[in-house]
Amino acid sequence: MKPALKKAALAAGPLKPPAPPLGKAPPVSIACRDLSLRFPVYGVDAKSLKKRLAAVTVGGRLGSHAGVTDVTALSHVTFELNAGDRLGLIGHNGSGKTTLLRALSGAYEPDDGEVEVQGRIAALLDLSLGIDPSASGFDNIRLRGRIAGLSTREIEKRLEEIAAFTGLGPFLAMPVKTYSAGMQARLAFAAATAVEADVLLMDEWIAVGDAEFQQLAHTRLLNLVERAGILVLASHDHDLLRLYCNKVMRLEGGVASPVTDIRKLDELLAA
Amino acid sequence: MDTATHMLRTGRRGALFEFNMAFQDLRNSVGRLGLAWSLAWHDVVSRYRGSILGPFWITLSMGLMVVGIGVVYSTLFGITLGKFLPLVALGIVFFGTISGIITEGCDTFVSAASMLSQTSLPMFTFVWRTVLRNLIYLAHHMLIVVAVLVFYGYWRDTNLAGALIGLVFLVANAAWISMLVAIASARFRDIPQVVTSVMQFTIFVTPVFWPAGRLQGAKHVVLDFNPFFHMLEAVRAPLMGVPIAPHTYSLLAMMAVVGWSLVFGVFALIRRRIVHYL
Repeated sequence: MKPALKKAALAAGPLKPPAPPLGKAPPVSIACRDLSLRFPVYGVDAKSLKKRLAAVTVGGRLGSHAGVTDVTALSHVTFELNAGDRLGLIGHNGSGKTTLLRALSGAYEPDDGEVEVQGRIAALLDLSLGIDPSASGFDNIRLRGRIAGLSTREIEKRLEEIAAFTGLGPFLAMPVKTYSAGMQARLAFAAATAVEADVLLMDEWIAVGDAEFQQLAHTRLLNLVERAGILVLASHDHDLLRLYCNKVMRLEGGVASPVTDIRKLDELLAA
Repeated sequence: MDTATHMLRTGRRGALFEFNMAFQDLRNSVGRLGLAWSLAWHDVVSRYRGSILGPFWITLSMGLMVVGIGVVYSTLFGITLGKFLPLVALGIVFFGTISGIITEGCDTFVSAASMLSQTSLPMFTFVWRTVLRNLIYLAHHMLIVVAVLVFYGYWRDTNLAGALIGLVFLVANAAWISMLVAIASARFRDIPQVVTSVMQFTIFVTPVFWPAGRLQGAKHVVLDFNPFFHMLEAVRAPLMGVPIAPHTYSLLAMMAVVGWSLVFGVFALIRRRIVHYL
């Protein structure tokens, strides 16, 4: 995160607690019970590497059976989150943060234990999801919206707002491959964040575009987070986590620490 | 991303539970058939963006093939063009659909890797996407079918209801093969090559370019045990106003039931692994 942006974010003050649920809105919650996830890696014989890798702090644990190498990405992770919880995930590369996010999004099936999520999930893990470079900006917004579960009518209703937010104007009618990287990022960001979600999953805080757009994007993301009941944010930036999260969990080799208050982050890091 | 408001994912809890989850995947995909349609439509549009004729390019090349093969082979076989050309035209169009659904099945999950690894979209959605995409192409090729049937006067005898029933049988069977191939291709990357070769081989042993009657004694192994022949015949015969062998329907129905049971079983048992293959 850029220092200027951080200052702006700090000036905006800490996140407000989410609005109380309206009327009969179902409760929002995440529950992981004894969640274990192993990746089978096919066609790789890691036996010879196993001993050397065992001493390394990066990555999950390797094991093998029946010729298939197993990477234990998560083991016996148990935690519970309720509306208003903003959980920061910390840990080395390969400690299982992204895997946990993907398990929460429903893409990865647990090998043991269970994941239960109440509420609409939005996973902002990969902004380029569903982006087709040869299609126009408008078509990409529509497609992305469809993947996110919006109906054609809902998308048409929001199209103007999304288009305005990208600030790309007439370029939206042109193929995305003619965009600069920054323009593509604007489009992807605007389309990906045009969702209503109760549970927001993020792999690193998203910062895209030039300074001006970053401000806009930041505000939009904050709004999205405020509307969502639960945020799970994986990041290496501890200041950022202090700013946006009220809880923190550390993953190490797929093993999770208990969920602790963000104010105890230093103790958690020292542990 | 998902609009579902409740999601529960658990570890293996026995075969019955796995079948239940697979069934849930199927049910969710049917509820979101609109998404499969949007994806399929997008595929068609994006493949032919910037071309004037669009998918009609395949129609055009099929049309050329029909005329070429029709003229040459009708002379070789000594059959009048009026009898032979419609047979070849319908053969090429509908075999094209069968072969398209199956060969493009290889790509069903592989091309959806990024979506499958970060959303909880049902996996069946991508199978329907492949099937629907090929049905969109077929709709374009109907131009050839209609032209030939009208030009040679077959339209008077066309049994449209029979052809539609045949199409349902055709799709029902091609779809399960497509899904089987999709799962296999995700795990073993040699499968697409195998499938392409098999489909190439099949087009020559199936009466696409030649009339079935030319094979000595119509009860030939190549015909009776060739599922593609029955799939093709279920649509082609009614369109040409030819009576269909009654065992074609029972065979196709049996094949669909057995095939879908097999594929669904395989899917149920390895569903949670597919995303890791990709």
